[in-house]
Amino acid sequence: MDKITKNQLSAMLLITDAFTLFCFRGHICLITALGFLCGTVFQFIMSLPLIKLCKDGNSVENSGKFVQSIYLVYLLLWGGMLFSMLWNASDVIYIPYENSNGIWGKLLIAGLIALVCLYSSSTGIKAVSRSAVIASAIGAICLLIVAVSAVFGSDWENLLRTENSDGFFKEISRGFILSGGLGSFAVLLSFTKGNTLKNALYYFTRKIILTAVVTVSSILVAGGIMKITEFPVVTAAQLSQPFPVQRIDSLFLIIFAVFAIFSIAVQSLTAAGLLMKIFPKFRHLRTTSVLVLMIGSAFLFSGENNYSIVYAVAIAFVLLVVPLAILLKRSLTK
Amino acid sequence: MKQQDYKEMTIIPDLKLNIKKIKEISGGSSDVLINEFVTGNIKCALLCCEGMLSTSTITELVLEPITNIDTKKDSHELFHYIQNYLLLSVDRPEATNYDSLFRLINSGFAVLIADGINKALAFGVQGYAVRSISEPSGEGNIMGSHEGFVETVRTNMSLIRRRIKSPELVLELFVKGEKSKTDLCLCYMKDRVPSELLKRIHKSLDNIQLETILTTGYIKPFVESDNFELFSSTGTTERPDVLCSKLIEGRVALLIDGVPFSIVIPKLFCESFQTLDDYSFQPYYSTFIRWIKYAAFLIAVLLPAVYAAIVIYHPELLNSTLLMLLVEAEQKAPLSIVTESLFVLLMYEIIREAGIRLPKPVGGAVSIVSGLIIGDSAVDSGLISTPLLTMSALAVISGFVVPELNDTITILRLSFLIAGGIFGLFGISILACAVLVNICSTEDYGFPYTAPLSPFRSAGMDDTAVRASFPKMQSRNFTVEEYHE
Repeated sequence: MDKITKNQLSAMLLITDAFTLFCFRGHICLITALGFLCGTVFQFIMSLPLIKLCKDGNSVENSGKFVQSIYLVYLLLWGGMLFSMLWNASDVIYIPYENSNGIWGKLLIAGLIALVCLYSSSTGIKAVSRSAVIASAIGAICLLIVAVSAVFGSDWENLLRTENSDGFFKEISRGFILSGGLGSFAVLLSFTKGNTLKNALYYFTRKIILTAVVTVSSILVAGGIMKITEFPVVTAAQLSQPFPVQRIDSLFLIIFAVFAIFSIAVQSLTAAGLLMKIFPKFRHLRTTSVLVLMIGSAFLFSGENNYSIVYAVAIAFVLLVVPLAILLKRSLTK
Repeated sequence: MKQQDYKEMTIIPDLKLNIKKIKEISGGSSDVLINEFVTGNIKCALLCCEGMLSTSTITELVLEPITNIDTKKDSHELFHYIQNYLLLSVDRPEATNYDSLFRLINSGFAVLIADGINKALAFGVQGYAVRSISEPSGEGNIMGSHEGFVETVRTNMSLIRRRIKSPELVLELFVKGEKSKTDLCLCYMKDRVPSELLKRIHKSLDNIQLETILTTGYIKPFVESDNFELFSSTGTTERPDVLCSKLIEGRVALLIDGVPFSIVIPKLFCESFQTLDDYSFQPYYSTFIRWIKYAAFLIAVLLPAVYAAIVIYHPELLNSTLLMLLVEAEQKAPLSIVTESLFVLLMYEIIREAGIRLPKPVGGAVSIVSGLIIGDSAVDSGLISTPLLTMSALAVISGFVVPELNDTITILRLSFLIAGGIFGLFGISILACAVLVNICSTEDYGFPYTAPLSPFRSAGMDDTAVRASFPKMQSRNFTVEEYHE
């Protein structure tokens, strides 16, 4: 696989993280935001063995078929989860054809996104990472507009409302689970140019900033109606209007669609790379197979149970347990 | 007989048989002239192609001195004398086989053959009719030079050499095209060009097995990537000054005889928005113009699609006054917005194509008929709404700001219109993603088309986001190798 820069790695993963936040279901309050930030810090701490592994010149891609298979399954499931999130969130976002054609409209929309993902993934990591940088820059500008209009036109008392919280530790766990890109992070970190630790720090710092901006803006805008809001970030984007006579929430649709495509494309690209390593003869159909499997696995996730503790265990397994086991095995063999 | 066989066929020493062979190969073509004469007491023949050489030059420089040679022992001594004691022209190649002999004759050389020797001497006395240097038609310029390339490769080489007198400038001439024997010239600055790029371009050119080379389009596929690319990763220019600026940046150029355009390798997306005039005006004004061009590109591609998407699916994006105005106008139109837009854009493409292909005097009439009669009557009859026509016209005019990308813009404009018409802004977004990935995957010889934007190079922003002053740019000493990945 070609080498990428830390900017490109961060852009790809942050898009996935932003999309996961957009599709977040439940209530958000200041405790949730703090929990999410602590969850991200935990993710970084847990990824230290992986960083050490990559720093020593090893990678998931070169760690044998068993390890590759673990990551492949993880990526396929996360890809499925992203499709499931897209499916659920599209109910509250106005997509012309989908809204007027029910299930078939939804299927067509999912199919179109899968088609673009298939094309994107087939062009390779360089093309996707370069375009992710441009997409993330556009996304950052749009998020900034939402954040600025949230700051100027919102009720700051919303920040103090904590009645929607399920408790700090529950929020940390939810924040820890909000990590769609960590499977790709584990695989792609070794393909990043420069110091691995600095690259990881660079990504996690930006993830903390992104999470803080998105969650705080959502609380400011939608804090008052959080109890009746299913997708708080989407609602916040729909409610925050910088202009008095026009509504710009359709613009959120653009960011939503672009981020959905890149999130799934990054997962499928990484998974396709692993699939090719495990089954070299499967080269030509690798991306199609991966996308089909992801769509298939999307049926495993209903949307209600997306923040179950099972996912936290799965993340900990790929981020901490597997790299730690490889490190231990290597030190024992030495 | 194949071309390859002529290469292997050495020149026959017997003059009579030699002339017979030449006549046989040329098929008795009327423009191949064979003038037999005796000089130095040896039977000779001067071969040339009618209309390809200058009569006055050949008379003064070749015919007079060559017919006044004293008696020589044999033809070897005669050829030795001509080569070493007579400077009949500055370009004096030799031919040893019939392939090179005919290439020289057909390139306007006068070729001397003699009895008893198996080689021919050629004298460069070309004098065919050529178009004089004139202002380029496609790359307008206010403050810079008004010279453009012409069809003759050697004139184009001199236009470059006049601007870069450095010995580091290499003009490598070679022949391609099995039948056309077209002269190609590879130009580069040997101290600036990345050696790997030059090596790989040479390798790509070696793969050319074409019979003829008539335009740049014949060569481009050989120096571009095999992947599907919406935007061409090689540039073309008809301006020698622009080409020189590219060569100084370490790029490689290819001149083709018979074509007044040169190919530049590699090309970046941001270069389509740069013109030579940018460097003549004040930096702040050039920066402003550059951003206008970026905006024009987006308007050219997206405006009809965004208009259709907003009016059909997302009217809340408009303020109430504008919305009412558009609703009123669209209510009168009998066709759907997408059909209307497609109709207007396709009609424009038809009119444009007609304008290009028709003789110039008739072209003017086409503009009147299309602009005044069709356009005006279509709006008056209510077939097309005025706002839609305005949007389409704006998009088309914006496309003219970046003429180099006009072909891609046309296709993208229509594709986005269909996507926006069916799926609204969602359709535009997903198509934009596919296009973005395609642009970012465009890469030739390891030079990403989207550099310096992505992969991001902050130093490159000096001449992309803004136009820095020359004192600042000269200290950078930029070469394209900075963008290599």
